Amino acid sequence: MKRADLVAAIGLLVLAGFILFESRALSFGTFRVPHTGFFPKILVGLLLLLSLSCLVQTLHDKVIQSRAEKIQVEGWFRIGATLATLVGFAAVLEWLGFLLSTFLLMVLLLRAIEAPKWSKVIIVALVTAFISYGIFAWLLSVPLPAGVLGI
Amino acid sequence: MAVGFGVALTPMNLLFCFLGSLVGTLVGVLPGLGPVGAVAFLLSLTFKMEPASAIIMLAGIYYGAMYGGSTTSILVNIPGETASVVTCLDGYRMARQGRAGAALGISAFGSFIAGTFGVVGLMFLAPLLGRAALSFGPAEYFALTLAGLTLVSYLSQGSMIKALIMAVLGLLAGTVGMDPISGEERFTYGTLTLRDGLGLVPVAMGLFGVAEILENLTVIATQSVYQTKIQGLLPNRKDWRDSAWPIARGSVLGFFLGILPGPGPVIASFVSYAMEKRLSRYPEKFGTGVIEGVAGPEAANNSATAGSFIPLLSLGIPTSAIMALFMGALMIHGIQPGPLFIAKYPELFWGFIASMYVGNAMLLVLNLPLIGIWVRLLKTPYVILFPLILLFCLIGVYSLNANVAEIIIMLVFGMLGFILRRVGFEGAPFILAMVLGPIMETSLRQSLLISRGNFVIFINRPICAVLIVLTAAFLIWPIVKRKRKTNNSESEN
Repeated sequence: MKRADLVAAIGLLVLAGFILFESRALSFGTFRVPHTGFFPKILVGLLLLLSLSCLVQTLHDKVIQSRAEKIQVEGWFRIGATLATLVGFAAVLEWLGFLLSTFLLMVLLLRAIEAPKWSKVIIVALVTAFISYGIFAWLLSVPLPAGVLGI
Repeated sequence: MAVGFGVALTPMNLLFCFLGSLVGTLVGVLPGLGPVGAVAFLLSLTFKMEPASAIIMLAGIYYGAMYGGSTTSILVNIPGETASVVTCLDGYRMARQGRAGAALGISAFGSFIAGTFGVVGLMFLAPLLGRAALSFGPAEYFALTLAGLTLVSYLSQGSMIKALIMAVLGLLAGTVGMDPISGEERFTYGTLTLRDGLGLVPVAMGLFGVAEILENLTVIATQSVYQTKIQGLLPNRKDWRDSAWPIARGSVLGFFLGILPGPGPVIASFVSYAMEKRLSRYPEKFGTGVIEGVAGPEAANNSATAGSFIPLLSLGIPTSAIMALFMGALMIHGIQPGPLFIAKYPELFWGFIASMYVGNAMLLVLNLPLIGIWVRLLKTPYVILFPLILLFCLIGVYSLNANVAEIIIMLVFGMLGFILRRVGFEGAPFILAMVLGPIMETSLRQSLLISRGNFVIFINRPICAVLIVLTAAFLIWPIVKRKRKTNNSESEN
């Protein structure tokens, strides 16, 4: 885990640099009259300081206890497939509409971990899409996108 | 108080109290979505409700999860949420000895007694503290938020530096949107979605809901529910005799630990277990299935949930991630929790307190006879469960403003939360800091304006000085401890 800690500390330093750059236009003001950039710039300073101490501590420590178990290839695949499906849902939701997007989302997610029978997947996906539509659109009056189907 | 029961006992509020307790128990029973994720998810549905119904339902989820979490600890040896971790030690052993019924029974009764004690404490202490807080100025508020965040970081499970980094990142996330004093835009990149700041719901749902599911997806383990006939839910006379003091001690301890910043219920359950073990005549038996090891911690975590509402309702300062979400729920309805809260909204405050009495009684009824149903639910395969939880997260976030960008924010924070968790960065200090950020910034800038840039304002006021000294102590103590440890190991070598 030492390498992961090092990457995290360096990543944080880069992030701090980025925020500092992005906040260049915000005026700091003075301690007497602090302006918009006063608080964010102090925080960036703190972030730089803490990330540096995290880096030094990681380099200094001889043994780092491993906290998380290593993820197997299948684990990464499941996470990748799930995230891609969720991003896809966000991308097509307003175009395809709630019912169709939810049906596709459920089909893909149900197949992401295991491969149950297609008939089972389609039934569960259909039932979920209609029941969730019923709960959110009718019972809770949440405005859901109709999309190409127009419902 | 009569006003409170008048509010809590309306059919609508009774229904929401019931729904909250039911969902809470469900969340507590099912591993995979903690109470923070569940409150974040339901937050979006409370926008259209009356403020009293909203807070009554959300509170039901919180204390319901504490009740439900113990069921999985006892029957499966897997805690439904972190405050029930310690219940596994003796609860599961009791189940294996065929005493699952007594363990579940005492945990439900203990939770009920402690929960009720906590509510009584909240009823008396919150107005007192609220009155005292009326004399607080911006300097006190700044010191209070600073001490709260430092204490939460100090109490975090992993490295304190990492927790502090998360707190600073959370404060920075809180600066996105309009400057609370001048109204100038910061880090919005001209987008409408970011003008009002990063949404609490998408961020919390990402960090606590999506990240947790991604973590579960790394290893899909099928758990077996301990197959035992659950009988005799009513503890016998000896069980009551053994548990009476642990429940009493757990109630008091949990309540006061709940008031302090940090994950109150979790700490309370661990401290109660340690205390019972120390006070016991047979400490060596702890971990082999003694009822005191279930009764004490279960009482403590329930009483702590009531205690943790005190700083939020009387000072307007949330002390944990879940309290930050409650603050969000109130502010969405235009209600500012703080010293004036009880005076300004007596019906809401007393209605909420009364609903907690009602909710605790409902949970007792829900938990004992329905244990069979909860056990059957535990057998739901994760393959079915995780797509449903994700779908609810997606709809929950979308329904806030019918804005796909909020879904993207949730997914980004979900991914970030997953990665950060794996390298030992926790989400709780982040979300708490994000909510406290605007209060902290406003009070810091106002204090400096008042004192004309003189930092002495934070030292020459007594409450401030105490809080600043405490903050410094929490920051310095880990460094001293580390130094001492290195010196010791060097001298040993």
